[in-house]
Formats: sequence, C-alpha cells, structure tokens
Amino acid sequence: MAANTMAAALAASLPAPQAAPAPATPSYEAIPASMAKVIDTEGEIPIKNIQLDGLVVSKIIKHGRDMASASSSVPAYGLLLGLDLDGTLEVSNCFAMPNSSDEDERTGKAAARYQSAMLRSLKEVQSDDSIVGFYQSTTLGAFFSQTLVDSLAAQRDRLRRGGVVVVHARGNAAFRAFRLTPSFIDAYKRKKFNTQSLIQHRLTFSSILEEVPLVIRTNALMNALIGTFTEATQEPYEDPAGSVIPTLAVPQSSLPPSFSGLDLEPPSYISSNLERIGEGLDDYKTEENNVSYLLRQITRERARADAYVQKRREENAARISAGLAPLPEEDVSRLFKIPAEPSRLDSMLLLGQLDSHAKTLENLASSQLVKTFASRV
Amino acid sequence: MPLGPQTSAVYLQQPASSVLSGAIRAPSSVTVHPAALFSILDHFLRRKESQERVIGTLLGIRNEHEIAIKSAFAVLHSETVEQVAVDMDYHRTLYELHQKVNPKEVIVGWRTGPYPAVHIAIDTGVQEGEQVGVRAYLSSPVGVSPKPENAVFIPIPCELHFHEAERSGLLLVDLLTKAAASPVGLESDLANLEATLLQVSDMVDRVLGYVRSVIAGDVEGDVTVGRYLMDSLNVSTAGIEKGKLEELFNSHLQDTLMVSYLSNLVRAQVEVSSRLALFYNIHIG
Repeated sequence: MAANTMAAALAASLPAPQAAPAPATPSYEAIPASMAKVIDTEGEIPIKNIQLDGLVVSKIIKHGRDMASASSSVPAYGLLLGLDLDGTLEVSNCFAMPNSSDEDERTGKAAARYQSAMLRSLKEVQSDDSIVGFYQSTTLGAFFSQTLVDSLAAQRDRLRRGGVVVVHARGNAAFRAFRLTPSFIDAYKRKKFNTQSLIQHRLTFSSILEEVPLVIRTNALMNALIGTFTEATQEPYEDPAGSVIPTLAVPQSSLPPSFSGLDLEPPSYISSNLERIGEGLDDYKTEENNVSYLLRQITRERARADAYVQKRREENAARISAGLAPLPEEDVSRLFKIPAEPSRLDSMLLLGQLDSHAKTLENLASSQLVKTFASRV
Repeated sequence: MPLGPQTSAVYLQQPASSVLSGAIRAPSSVTVHPAALFSILDHFLRRKESQERVIGTLLGIRNEHEIAIKSAFAVLHSETVEQVAVDMDYHRTLYELHQKVNPKEVIVGWRTGPYPAVHIAIDTGVQEGEQVGVRAYLSSPVGVSPKPENAVFIPIPCELHFHEAERSGLLLVDLLTKAAASPVGLESDLANLEATLLQVSDMVDRVLGYVRSVIAGDVEGDVTVGRYLMDSLNVSTAGIEKGKLEELFNSHLQDTLMVSYLSNLVRAQVEVSSRLALFYNIHIG
C-alpha cells in the first residue's frame, strides 16, 4: 500500500526517536494519507475481516449471560452496528433485540419500531447507526438454525455489505464471525434445495457459512481503564506490630486469573450435551424418514408414468404397423402428479447442528483427558 | 476490587437505628459491570468537540445492601456555566427501549421515587497528571427541610463486578490491550486449560524460588507461609484404598474416552451422511 511505504520513508528521514522510559512502547495505528482509496462508496471492496470493539464484546457477553440466567432456551439476539473501511468491517456498537422466540415477532412491526427508534437515538449521540449484521449466542456450540439462515439471507438483501453474524458461545469468550457462502445464497434465492441444486452448488452443511477472520480492538480510553484494573494495586501491608509481612503474591490485579478451568469435576453440561446429540440424531432420523418417504413416492409415480408412456408407444407401434394413425402422446405430467423433490435444507441444518454439538463435546472430552492424566501423576 | 486511585474518603454507614421507619436504607456499596463502563467510555469518545463531558443514565438492579449497575446509555445534554440540561424525552425513549430487552434493570442513576441516586464519575485520564479511575457517589438529602434538589453526593465504595462466565471475555480484552490488535480465534477449552496450567506452573516456580531462598538462608522464613504450604501439599489419598483409587481413575478415563470416541463417531457419520445425500440421489434421480 502506498501509505505504508510513505510512512516508512518518513520514518527513515526522521531522527531516531529517543528511547522511551515507558516499559512498553505504544504502537500507533497507521493512518493512510488519503482516505479515498479505503472508503468504499461503491461496495466493491470485499470484506476480508471483522473488527469487534471491546464494547461490543462486553455487551454481547453480558447479553448472552443475562439470557442464560433467565433460563430460557432462546438465544440472545441483537444487531451489530458499524462501518466498513478498506475491507475491514468495523463493528463499533451493538444493541440487544427484545427477546422473542418466533420468527414472526422478530421481523414483526414491533421489532421494526424498536429497531428504528434505537437507531435514531444512537445517531443523536454520534454513534454509528448503520446495521452491518447481527449476533447470536449459542449453547453448546450449535448455532445452525433455520432462523439464523433466514435472518442472514434477509439481511443480505437489505444491507449493502450483506450481513454477517457473530456467534458467541456462552461460557468461553469465543467469538466467530460468519457469512453465507455465495453458492448457498444462489440456491436460497431460487428456493431450491433439491438434490440437483445441492450437487450443482456443492452444498453440505459445512459450506452454508464461511468464516470471516475476527479481530478484537479496544480504544485508547478502554486500554487505560483496563490497564489500571490489572495494574498492581496491592502493596505489602504492615501488620499492627509494625513488621512488614513478606508476601509471596505478585501484585494482585483487579482481574485475578481464574483457575476454575482446573476443576477435575467434569462440567455438568457434558450430559446435557450428550442428550442433545441424542435428540439431534432422533430429529435427523425423522427428517430422513420423511425425505425417503417422499423419494419413494416420487419413484413410484415416475415408474407409473414411465409405464404409461411405454404402453402408449407400444400401442402406437402396433397401430402404425396396422396402418392406423398413431394416438397422440399426451402430456404425462398432467396425468400423473409427480411430487416436487423434498427440500434438503432441514436435514442439512440438522446435520450441521449435530456436527457442532459433537465438536464441542470432543473439545470437552479432550480437556478432560488432559486433566485426568495430570491428576494421576 | 477497587476501581480507582486510592482516596482518603471515609465511608460512613448510617446505623440501622438512625434510619427512620419507612425510609429506605441507603445501600452500602455499588458494583459496576464492565459493559456499563465501556459504554460510558465509548460515549465519551464520540462526544462533540465542544463537549467537556458526557452524561448518561445508569441502569441496574437494586437490592437491600448494594446497587449493581448493569448497563448505561448515553443521554443528550447541553451545558452552560450555570446549568446542565438533559434531554428528558430522549432519556425516556431510550429507557423504554431498554426496558423491552431487560425489564429487570431499572434506573439507578437518577432520583427515582424514594431511592437515592447513584452517581458514577469516570476519570478518563486524558488530562495529564490525572489517574484513570472510577468513583461512585450516593446522593443524600441535606438541609433542614429535605428537598429533591438539595443533595450532597457522598462517596461510596465501588467495585467491578461480573459473572464468572464473563471473566474470560474481560481477560481477552485485557490481553489485547497488551498485544495491539492481534487476531483472536475461537478460544477453545484446551487453549484455556493450557493458559491456566502455565500460570500455575509460574506460581509453583515462584514458591519454589522462595522456599529455596529460605533454605539457603537468604530470607527469613515466614511461619504463615510455611504452614500454608504444608497444608496445601499435605493433601493425601490415604483415606482411599490403593486399588480403589486406581479403579476410580480407570473408570473415569474410560468414560472420558468413550465420550471422545462417541463425539468423533458422530462427526464422522454426519460428514459421511451429508456427502451421501449428494451421491445417493444421483442414482434415483
């Protein structure tokens, strides 16, 4: 990039800066000389990565936590606000959407009113007010759902940049950003999820979403504040007798590390995770039965239609050899109702859910293994 | 966890007997959720050039002894030398919006009903010589005849509070402040475990260093530390029979391995099944 080389040239021409007494040399973000190249007015620069503000991180975690403590199975759902700059989607703020379980309410009028009122208010205090995507919390890693895909697809139509979803797993501070893959969007637009279309678009559950790299950034003020939290606050204290008690502790910070990860007790959610996998398998089995039932029906109808056509042809051949005019070949599709091929989207999403549940479980099991062996020695 | 530079303020708590019957007892401490602090800082960053400071509403949950501030939102305000005007319409709209999402959180930042108002002052430290810090104050009536507009704000202890599950998020943000914007991925359980183990190993090293220097006679040993070390290291498995422990260990290991195999099996099957869905239909169709 031109700006980088220019900055380098400038830096070379300047006298070497004096060694700062500060223990950590601050790094400054390079500001490009001209914004013309990086501001994307035409929507041409593709989004390469996503940058989450520290504020957004803490808000999403809090929301996910609140929803979890409300013991509802509804995931926390909210909108992300921000701007895109030179291929980086900067998410600078977010707000929670009212808790509603079904799709109707989420896209309904009340939600729309809420959203526009919120955006207007945010604009008044100079916040970013353009929606760039949404976030959703997950339990035990499964985030594939019809709602998620539908919301993403709906946002894609409305937003300039296409929507992104940031998925937050409760428990760990795990954030991942996704967007729909072009091939899925293509299939979704045509509302076709039959076999032909799946093969054509090479769709499996893993190719519905593509992951976008995620970066978390904090602003200078936040850095300063967190810096003071984690800074040493404890001084060696004196006991009443006057002698200084030696302390083994390194200066205590306001954010003491957590050692809960070392608990040998397997977390209670292992069993619920297993249960979910069981349920998921059941669901998938039911879905599969439905699909194969429909497929059998299709084959049966098709066989009947083929037999009919065959018969008519033979008859015609007989008539021609007898010197009669052949009967017209009728449109078989009118005589036989061949049902449309079933949509594979549901089973695909179920598989995706199963996969992510199993992945979480695998992760859990591996850390358990490590701990088990550690406790033996 | 103190949030600001040390102050010389003495926190006085009225004894219960001095509280008139019917009056609400003033809370003795305030806890702040990081999301609220970050919202305030973000608002400050986005202030207009002419603005010296920003004002917002604090939302939280009140209980008998403390006030937990959960979130905050920015409010428009205009300020002259004599007075500060807050856009009440704006405040009301946003409060209603917040109520829809989180009905449990109520206004704690302004005087509502009989409750005293909490005031949080964040020093952003942008002026030289000032330390970053958060201070909390509680309004309390002053004067012979208490009027709502007559109040002094007395300092009150203020702490950072968040749920255990949110800790990893904060630590993540904290890590980032040390290493300028580096990419973060999905923090897995294993990565977390590794980090914790490293920390523990560090601590063991530190203790070892101390013990060695005591043995060498460089430092006078401290009895308290010694007893503490004794207690922590003296955890024995004497209570359990020898064979029993081995048995327990093995059964646990088997369980864990089973879970691991099962999850791998499910994943493999899922993958195969999704591929088969593409394949198997070519023949039928």
